[in-house]
Amino acid sequence: MNNEQSDEKQVKIENADREENAVASSISIQTKESAQKVEKSPEAQKGVESQKDRSGQIQEEDDLSGLESEKKKTESGEKVQETTAGERAAQSLRDRDGQVRLKTAGDHLLLMLPPEREFSGNWNELWQELQVRLKGGARFWQANSQVHLMARERLLDGRQLQAIADALSEVQLQLKRVETSRRQTAVAAATSGYSVEQISPHHHLVQAAGAEPLAEPLYMETTVRSGVEIRHQGNVVILGDINPGGKVISVGDILVWGRLRGVAHAGSGGNSDCVIMALQMEPTQLRIANYLARAPQQPPAQYYPEVAYATTEGIRIARATDFTKKPTDEQQREKS
Amino acid sequence: MSRIIVITSGKGGVGKTTCTANLGMALAQQGRQVVLVDADFGLRNLDLLLGLENRIVYTAVEVIAGECRLEQALVRDKRESRLTLLPAAQNRTKDAINSDQMAQLIEKLAASGYDYIIIDCPAGIETGFKNAIAAAKEAIIVTTPEISAVRDADRVVGLLEASNIKKIKLIVNRLKPAMVEANDMMSVQDVQEILAIPLIGVIPDDECVIVSTNRGEPVVLSANSSLPKAAFANIVRRLEGEKVEFLELKEQEEGLFARLKRMFWK
Repeated sequence: MNNEQSDEKQVKIENADREENAVASSISIQTKESAQKVEKSPEAQKGVESQKDRSGQIQEEDDLSGLESEKKKTESGEKVQETTAGERAAQSLRDRDGQVRLKTAGDHLLLMLPPEREFSGNWNELWQELQVRLKGGARFWQANSQVHLMARERLLDGRQLQAIADALSEVQLQLKRVETSRRQTAVAAATSGYSVEQISPHHHLVQAAGAEPLAEPLYMETTVRSGVEIRHQGNVVILGDINPGGKVISVGDILVWGRLRGVAHAGSGGNSDCVIMALQMEPTQLRIANYLARAPQQPPAQYYPEVAYATTEGIRIARATDFTKKPTDEQQREKS
Repeated sequence: MSRIIVITSGKGGVGKTTCTANLGMALAQQGRQVVLVDADFGLRNLDLLLGLENRIVYTAVEVIAGECRLEQALVRDKRESRLTLLPAAQNRTKDAINSDQMAQLIEKLAASGYDYIIIDCPAGIETGFKNAIAAAKEAIIVTTPEISAVRDADRVVGLLEASNIKKIKLIVNRLKPAMVEANDMMSVQDVQEILAIPLIGVIPDDECVIVSTNRGEPVVLSANSSLPKAAFANIVRRLEGEKVEFLELKEQEEGLFARLKRMFWK
């Protein structure tokens, strides 16, 4: 009996994995169609798009079409509350939704740790992510601001709290208050002399993306290096490069004041009106909502600040100076 | 105050150990007290490059386990008395120790009054890497001008920054100037553009390094002058805070005539 139950859970996990793949595959389906369109009428394409677009140079991705396609289900029904060891193992391989977040709230900052359910990594990974966020966001806050740590249901011992406090003080922030739903964390925090608020655990903090309003923009002054992944429920501004192997995923727009060489995914909640802007656009991959594009094999001779946006035919890139004029062009076309 | 420098790369085979051996030797030649720590437990090589394998009695693991004193495990170099090696165990794996133990070990070395403690980091970013960087205050990234090596180096730089090691310098190793000129190899500028950390040296690819490795004699000890030898000497001077111009590496490709001349001159 027990065995059967655990088998069932395994299946559930696999399904959940497939759902995530489904996002990728739905991309490939859409873009495959559009790739064909492009092939059929490259000339007409140019007519529709602004002349200065590098439309011909962006190739649509259809390598992923081998993946199974499944309709994306709503996640809410599938969330399992208790986690078994097997589930955790599977989870650690999945993409992570939760990330460390910093948010201003009145006169203080909120440091929000992702719930363990969404952040499968161990303390070490959480710690690294926290460091990345703190180092990249230095100009985002006033020196000596107070920080309230929202630990939620995450278990933290005194040493980890101390490590967080030390990391904060290094960027001139003070840990003052800890909010947690775990008794042990509360005790540890109280012992270390922070004010503690124990909240009741509730599991519906994160709803399906899209239903949530955009968070305030994330502004980071950093190089997003290989292996670093930045996710944010709002617009993202990166002052620095995104290196190959680095990844930025935003529910809103992405602005890169530097070179974009890694992967950028704007409108990850499904909003295809989102754009990706970069001073130097040489991405490994661009994604907007469910569209996906690769950079051309042959890099252009010269780079300009550019904007990537989604059309029904896939992702297009326009020079930044021309992009702002685009909507009026379309309006004119509609009129005529 | 000893300077504690970890030499790391992410990718294997780019020349971490060779750089460690040569930098250590060159620093010692400059009159510095240097200890080299091999953190590559289970796959130790540093002793081979220094030609000290047959002098090892105890290793770092025995020191940590309390089976011997630190001084007993230290191997003094046969040619340069200011250079000391703390060998790694060959019969253990990287999980044999943890980063706290490693940090304590390095602290002990720091208390013994060395000017430089140079840690040779294993490839990868797992336990061995974490142990090696645990006590380091500075880092030197070694990379070759290949995208795979640079990508790994980039990841490692991120991890180092997240571990609060802020002084990170770059060595581009095994550069082939002729290939760079022909646009067949990444240039130093290309590498720097991605990694965005200060360059401390460029070492050209040269067969003499392989020869010296096999002999267990760091190239900086050889009597013949070579570009790698000069490059290491310059890196040491830059480490010491001097401003040194980078070598003009094109000279090496001066053509057939110069090579013939060198052959006959020998």
